[in-house]
Amino acid sequence: MTAGVASAGAVARLSVREVSRRRAVVALVVAQPLCFYLARHDLTGQSVRMLTLGIGWAISTLTLFVVIGARRVDPRLRLTGAPAASLVGGRLLAMSAAGVALALGYWVLVAVDQDVRRLWAVGPTMLVTALVAAPFGSLVAALLPRELEGALGLLTVVAVQMLADPAGPVAKLLPFWSAREIGTYAIDPVGGDYLARGLAHAAVTWTVCLAGTWAVCSWRLRLARYPAPPA
Amino acid sequence: MSADDWDLRLEAELVRLGLQPARARALRDETVAQTAEAGAPADRLFGPAHLYARHLARELGDLRVAQLERRPARPGRVLLSLRGVGKRYRRRVVFSGVDLTVRGGEVAAVVGANGCGKSTLLRICAGFVRPSTGTVHRTARVGFVPQDGGTVDWLTPAEHFALFGAAAGMGRRRAASTGDHLARRLSWRPEAEPAQHLSGGQRQKLNLVLGELHAPDLLLLDEPYQGFDEGTYLDFWQQVGAWRDAGRAVVVVTHLLHDLQHVDRVLDLGAVGR
Repeated sequence: MTAGVASAGAVARLSVREVSRRRAVVALVVAQPLCFYLARHDLTGQSVRMLTLGIGWAISTLTLFVVIGARRVDPRLRLTGAPAASLVGGRLLAMSAAGVALALGYWVLVAVDQDVRRLWAVGPTMLVTALVAAPFGSLVAALLPRELEGALGLLTVVAVQMLADPAGPVAKLLPFWSAREIGTYAIDPVGGDYLARGLAHAAVTWTVCLAGTWAVCSWRLRLARYPAPPA
Repeated sequence: MSADDWDLRLEAELVRLGLQPARARALRDETVAQTAEAGAPADRLFGPAHLYARHLARELGDLRVAQLERRPARPGRVLLSLRGVGKRYRRRVVFSGVDLTVRGGEVAAVVGANGCGKSTLLRICAGFVRPSTGTVHRTARVGFVPQDGGTVDWLTPAEHFALFGAAAGMGRRRAASTGDHLARRLSWRPEAEPAQHLSGGQRQKLNLVLGELHAPDLLLLDEPYQGFDEGTYLDFWQQVGAWRDAGRAVVVVTHLLHDLQHVDRVLDLGAVGR
């Protein structure tokens, strides 16, 4: 167990380092939500909602590529002794931390730049989105383990999320519906039920994505157990 | 280096082959003197510096690579045993009926034409792929070195050592020192640059070190010398000899027939049933 924790820690630390060396990637991950935000800057509610969705898209895409990029090395790490859970968990930890940092930075921007009814609730909107985005990107990578297929799958889901009627059943089945609900609570004069629904949706989505990722990755990274040769 | 550096390369290679630096320098001076007498460029007279260094060292009977010729110590316990192993993908039979036993202190080579399933067999031995038929018995501590890939482009060699060391339950410091030590045995001093900036040969050296970092009993090597120069290639086989002498078992996939002089048994996958 201790070795598993140490391995997860090393995977998390080195995943962050790996991403931080890719300066252009870091710049684009930061720029994408900002572009969404600036595109609807004239409307407070829409700009915050687009910013939140941009964070979700950026972090899920980043996670997708990090997880797919690790496919060449993960089987060797398993053979060396790392449990599959430590590989999955370590990367999710790293990408979630990146998402939290991004969300906190944009929370400050909104606080400075916008007049929002419940400013404090904008924080949970972005944090929840970032925290859901990491396991969601990881699940897409597990199900579509090639870069182009994964990126197109992610694009489809997020585009449908943007286009679907938030009150309709389709939107509720998509991963970032929670951001819409909590965002509405932050921006519009609505009751706490929006916040509760959003948090519940996020918790369910996070759990499903995490369990799905773990199940697919454990299956894919399983090693044949051979008996020791007779003495 | 230019052709003008020929004598420096000769000296460096002699030192690398195990000669004392003073002896290597003396040999270099002698060769330079002979070159001046002949009035022709050294590379035209003697050929590539590293090959001439090997020739000189062999003449002196002081060649580290001579260790390659050394036969193994007495074979130990069985570390890998395949009985009737076969693999098929849907209707296509890749191979069938493969039998192989490798003991500690033995080196086995898997040879065969392209597409006959050499890498698949090695992946079965590792446990990445399950055999369709047959049984495998294998020791638990295994190292695997792929033909290519297997590293993270944006991490340095030291970070790879930390990553694989953590997977094996090693501390960061121990993993770093072990990795550096193993790299030096391949005449490589890892620098702090990402793996994607390493040459093909250096990346394969990194792969070899990662495969050995956790001191496995059985090493599975899939044509691990892609991109190696002549000197590193000899270093590699010397390293294989050292593993064998240490009682480890090695299975190496190769298509180079002259490699077979270094191994104890050969499995020709092209000759087994399909």
